[in-house]
Amino acid sequence: MISIQIELDDHTAIQFQEDLLEKIHETGAKGVVIDLSTVDIIDSYIAKILGDVVKMSDLLGAKVVLTGIRPAVAIILTDLGIRLNNISTALDLEKGLAKLKQDLGG
Amino acid sequence: MIMETRSSVPINNEWDIVQARQLGRQISREMGFGHVDQARITTAISELARNIYLYANNGEITIEPIVNLGKKGLKITSRDKGPGIKDIRLVMQDGYTTSGGLGAGLPGVKRLMDIFKIDSTLEKGTNIVAIKWLR
Amino acid sequence: MPKVVIKYIKDKRKEINEAWMRKMAEELPEFPNYRAPNQNLSNANDNFVDVIYTYLLNIENTDDVRDFIKKIMKLEVPINYLSIGLQVFRRVVMEVIKRSEKDPENLLELYEHTDRVVEPIFNQLIKDTTETWERTISIQKSELLELSAPLIPILDRISVMPLVGTIDTERAKLIMENLLQGVIDHHAEVVLIDITGVPVVDTMVAHHIIQASEAVRLVGSKCILVGIRPEIAQTIVNLGIELDQFPTKSSLQRGIEEALKITERKVITITEGNGKQ
Repeated sequence: MISIQIELDDHTAIQFQEDLLEKIHETGAKGVVIDLSTVDIIDSYIAKILGDVVKMSDLLGAKVVLTGIRPAVAIILTDLGIRLNNISTALDLEKGLAKLKQDLGG
Repeated sequence: MIMETRSSVPINNEWDIVQARQLGRQISREMGFGHVDQARITTAISELARNIYLYANNGEITIEPIVNLGKKGLKITSRDKGPGIKDIRLVMQDGYTTSGGLGAGLPGVKRLMDIFKIDSTLEKGTNIVAIKWLR
Repeated sequence: MPKVVIKYIKDKRKEINEAWMRKMAEELPEFPNYRAPNQNLSNANDNFVDVIYTYLLNIENTDDVRDFIKKIMKLEVPINYLSIGLQVFRRVVMEVIKRSEKDPENLLELYEHTDRVVEPIFNQLIKDTTETWERTISIQKSELLELSAPLIPILDRISVMPLVGTIDTERAKLIMENLLQGVIDHHAEVVLIDITGVPVVDTMVAHHIIQASEAVRLVGSKCILVGIRPEIAQTIVNLGIELDQFPTKSSLQRGIEEALKITERKVITITEGNGKQ
């Protein structure tokens, strides 16, 4: 299981996607917590990349939980009509890890 | 409308998107927008700047405080000389995309801001004006 | 020169006053009845013209008009009384002038000057009353917003947001912000949104509630909608609003039970002899 805290910027987003998938592959991680508490905006582009990362990780056999999405970011995602429907979320890192453990069956 | 200071950021590459965004954040903060509205403005600028970068390659984002009938607001103008938009109704639909994105860009900007006007001519370019009023 | 008009108004004060009272009785026939229970109002009639006079004698000083408007608003005289009162005053003055001035050219000019004398009073009246209203409305509005939407932690990891009153777009935004910030501040894993006090749930209100619950999910918490009255359940279904993505419960109590289940807890009764569990 790995947890990452990131600062998402446009030019780092794609890089982040590649790095994360590489790391999942290397470590054989079954679960990933991505902490977004330092990300102050998510536009439709970054949301797309995040959604893709979750799907791609899933293909590699790792479940992703997003944590620490800020209130303002959540409001704007809903304003934009972006649902991130099939992505799990948790309040913080600790709860994210708990959720992963639960989802992965203990 | 009374114009105050205006700031423009040319959009030529991805770094400029970040710069336009930071400027929007700074100006909206100085004007006294709440932090959620600051984020709305910043996100709208991000979407508009990215559209310029993706579809027109170059263009310009202008950010200016405005006053209209005693109401204060922030006006964002996005200008490019790109290919233009063939069917505006279509791009304003949720989920419509030609770039593989989420198709939430322009309709999203409309929802984030209070006023949204789009004006586009094929082969000539696109002008978008979006305003957020200070509450 | 308006001075000529003012001279007319001063010299013919008694005549103007009487004509004004008479015309007002014609214009607002309901007014005498209206006046009956309140002695002060007959003074109000006098005062109105008096203040116009005071105003005309000290043209610099608009405070009198303002004081007068304040006084008359306390008496709960309808605003159209003031507006008609001023119009009638103008007409009466014009009639008085017409009776003494025979030269049509002069007459026309004097009419124009009468307008110029009455206009500033009229403008001041409109300005002051609208300012008072606007101030009142904005105070009420901000008070309403403050009353709006508290998020109350009721148990560890469980919070409740009771919504009372009509939800418009502006309130919905505030509710959303309070809700999400509260979720973070209280580490709420489950939030119960109680709509018992919301009179009407139409498509727009439902949309706002759905958006709020989506945003709550994004920050990592969970919403339960409680307090759905039968008539609201009916409107929701009749309007074709899809609420199936998030759980609903009829009452706050059922909601709390559900919230405890989600956070893997339950309420147990401790009976004597049985001891604690």
